[in-house]
Amino acid sequence: MQTPDLVPIIPELILLVTALIVLLVEPFLKSDGTGRIDRTALIAITLTGLVGSVAVSLGLSGEDRESFAGMLVLDSWAVFFNVLFGVGAVLTVLMSPGYLEAHRRHLGEYYALLLFAVIGMNLMAAARDFILLYVAIELMAISSYLLAAFFRYRIRSNEASLKYFLTGSFASAILLYGVSLVYGQAGATNYSATGRAMGEIMQSAATGGKAGVLLAVFLVAIGLAFKVSAAPFHMWTPDVYQGAPTPIAAFFSVGPKAAAFSAMMAAFVAAFPGALKEWGLFFIVLSIVTMLAGNLYALVQTNVKRMLAYSSIAHAGYLLAGVGAMGWSGNTLPGQGVMIYLAAYTFMNLGAFGILAYLKAQMPKGFDYSLKSLAGLGRRSPWTASLLTLFLLSLTGIPGTAGFIGKFYVFSGVVWADLWWLAVVGVLLTAVSAYYYLRVVIYMFFREPEREYTLKEPIGGAMAASLAVSAIATVAIGLVPSWLWDAAASGFGALLK
Amino acid sequence: MSLTLLTFLPIAGAVVMLIFMRGRPSAYKTTALVTSVLTLGVAIYLAARFRTGTAGFQFIEDHRWIEGLGISYHLGVDGISVLLVLLTTLLTVVAILCSWNSIKDRGLAFFISLLVLETGMLGVFVSMDLFLFYVFWEIQLIPMYFIIGVWGGPRRVYAAIKFFLFTFVGSVVMLVAILAVVWWYAKNGGPLTFDILELQKAGFSGPLAVWSFIAFFVAFAIKVPMFPVHTWLPDAHTEAPTAGSVVLAGVLLKMGVYGMIRFCIGFFPEVAVKAMVPVLILSAVAVIYGAVMSLVQPDMKRLVAYSSVSHMGFITAGLFTFNQQGIEGSVLQMVSHGVLTGALFMMVGFFYDRTHTRLIEDYGGMARPMPVAAAFFSLFVLGSLGLPGLSGFVGEFLILVGVFQYAKVFAVIASVGVVLGAAYLLWMYQRTMFQQTNEKWLSLKDLSAREIVSLAPLVGMAVWIGLYPHTFLNLLHAPTQNIISQVQPYLAERGSSLLEMVGSLFGGF
Repeated sequence: MQTPDLVPIIPELILLVTALIVLLVEPFLKSDGTGRIDRTALIAITLTGLVGSVAVSLGLSGEDRESFAGMLVLDSWAVFFNVLFGVGAVLTVLMSPGYLEAHRRHLGEYYALLLFAVIGMNLMAAARDFILLYVAIELMAISSYLLAAFFRYRIRSNEASLKYFLTGSFASAILLYGVSLVYGQAGATNYSATGRAMGEIMQSAATGGKAGVLLAVFLVAIGLAFKVSAAPFHMWTPDVYQGAPTPIAAFFSVGPKAAAFSAMMAAFVAAFPGALKEWGLFFIVLSIVTMLAGNLYALVQTNVKRMLAYSSIAHAGYLLAGVGAMGWSGNTLPGQGVMIYLAAYTFMNLGAFGILAYLKAQMPKGFDYSLKSLAGLGRRSPWTASLLTLFLLSLTGIPGTAGFIGKFYVFSGVVWADLWWLAVVGVLLTAVSAYYYLRVVIYMFFREPEREYTLKEPIGGAMAASLAVSAIATVAIGLVPSWLWDAAASGFGALLK
Repeated sequence: MSLTLLTFLPIAGAVVMLIFMRGRPSAYKTTALVTSVLTLGVAIYLAARFRTGTAGFQFIEDHRWIEGLGISYHLGVDGISVLLVLLTTLLTVVAILCSWNSIKDRGLAFFISLLVLETGMLGVFVSMDLFLFYVFWEIQLIPMYFIIGVWGGPRRVYAAIKFFLFTFVGSVVMLVAILAVVWWYAKNGGPLTFDILELQKAGFSGPLAVWSFIAFFVAFAIKVPMFPVHTWLPDAHTEAPTAGSVVLAGVLLKMGVYGMIRFCIGFFPEVAVKAMVPVLILSAVAVIYGAVMSLVQPDMKRLVAYSSVSHMGFITAGLFTFNQQGIEGSVLQMVSHGVLTGALFMMVGFFYDRTHTRLIEDYGGMARPMPVAAAFFSLFVLGSLGLPGLSGFVGEFLILVGVFQYAKVFAVIASVGVVLGAAYLLWMYQRTMFQQTNEKWLSLKDLSAREIVSLAPLVGMAVWIGLYPHTFLNLLHAPTQNIISQVQPYLAERGSSLLEMVGSLFGGF
């Protein structure tokens, strides 16, 4: 038996080793006498591992190496997402300690689980085979279920985890069923082999064969639609985000979602090119429903964390519009827009959630993320309020921010595909979203609180670093997006090779 | 570099204020004023070096920005934009002066917002790239939103969000139209570019041109605002602080008309000609409706706001006659309206600072305690209603000449608007300045030196345009000729008899 080439999975191996080191080191950490244990070392190890993994990915970016009999490839597609997930995880790790300390649940497992989830996400982007895709999704998902339940003494956290687990397993089952249908018809699970076989079936006139292919495509699409929380499969999202620890909710909203999008685009482009129009149309319909549901539900939320959860559904809708337009037009232009949007979304959404995590730790007891509790923040903590405003404006899609660039590229792809009506629906719902994002701004700057309050500490330490990176990236992508476009283009180039 | 300097000087000043001058009101106020005066200086310098007589764009800067999509950082000005740049920079200085003492809470943020707003407005007028234009067009929403929302009147939150959403809805649909025209051109033989001059050569036609025209037009019509999408304006004006109202009426509304000139006519001359009659009808409705609404307003600021709707109706009407007088009058009237309505808002603001009421019925006999204020107020009221010798007359007269050439019906309607304008303005003046003196106000102080200084440039402008409009019209001849030559081929195809007009209205596009 031939030894597989291990080079393409070095980034994942680094993460695996780091996670194990974190678990091993934790018991040896000394308490400082008051019962509190300084876990800075764990954070340092985790960050080193993540940064190392990202660096190795970037170093290997020109290699284009296939391994495990074509099951996975480390090409510029995978590197793009490895970097994105790595950066997202770094930002999450940085915003966590303050929040976890405030809840007295600062444990090593947290970082280890996060690393395991990142391994799963990396593999999802690198997978070129449905079996590996399934395994990677499960690795990511099981780590996520545990992270959602990290505050195990809180009912809400348990509810979040259980809901996530049940719906997630359900989705995995549907996906697996789709994969089994794919295997049954194509005789392969490898994307490109599947693509060839499925293409032939679609070419031939037999209606039965076509229906079988479409059913398989449909089931795989639904399985992944669950993961990106597309409506009508979004029910779990708000409850999970609300119940999970805030930094974890932040991570969920960007990491696994981006991973699912990367897997979705890779699998559908490579494995189902025979049914481009069909799955394109399916995602277009899904995108309209998702944009509508996300934006309209977000409109009536009074809890900011929940509003952000619904807004993340809305953003999934815009992204799906890009994916759908890509299938419909058979061109990667909208897909490149989706990649840029995912990058932009990672920073702005992590930033917004990061502010909430900071507020939860620093606001007086009883802070419940409600709009009312944010009243007057602009006067009491101008920096916090200004940063949150920046992130919300970016989520709205105001020019000068990353959010605008993301929307611009996605809708530009959609219009390119001659689906201008879809773009009109999208931008009009963006205008709706302006209302609920700006309402937070209204409370922070235009209203005064019912009771006087002060924040315990100004933003500092790791949290400051996380927010600063998010804010700078949000503005930087907003002003100079060309390099992202090139990276996305070379990613698709590698995928289609 | 001169246009970059012009555009970003205000932001640079704002950054200096933010970093070095927190908690030192006199320092940051002075810096804000100095910054805005310097910007005005740059604008005047540019205007002085501007070569009239050519329709080409000048002071061009062109750097590649996002190469993959043919987006560049491309700046340039023609006669129309130079005039609007001057107006913007002048009104910002005035706005800063007039909020010197009236903004007490969070002053630093206020002056920074004003300067950021100035950069946004200047950017809109000097952008030669659609993407860049759109960026500036949207960015100026944010400072204005805060200016209304934080420092506004009692219903400020409602007014701010209404202002934002109205404009935002219009502009996001415009974004889709921008993408549509850019891709259409790229797919039909042209380069992939967002360059405005390049796209003007594209010659869009067919359904794409009609729909894109509508999308652009609606976005700009909301900003102007034209009837029936004007409803955000009275609320925004009434609730905004004085400086906000001055800038809003003086510059922001003009951005709408500017956009119509650049894009609706520049990109789609064929559709613009077809849209002539509907636009003229809407403008006529706005002229009359705005005037009638002004007549019945109990609130001075609201009255001036509705008068804006009426005056902007004149401007859009003049523009869509597509003849020399109409277009030149329209642009000149933009400047004149900016100056005079800005001044009226400032006067209302000065009265409000002293009395804390804007209701006309609370006033009366103000000329006795405040004779200087009353004198200034009378000048602006008379200018606004079109007294010969002041700026309002020149613009309105040219527009009427232009409209008359095209269709006498509209000229008649518009002159009814002028009469109504005289009615509501003089009636308001009479009820506030003369008649029974309200005892409460007898002890009020007259205008201070600072207030007079802030009004002086506006008086100067009103008189200058009124007596010697040649200075400004000179800038406009070449660009106007350019616009006319664009629409001429399509204009020749249609007559202007009333019957055809009605026919084209019902025939639609």
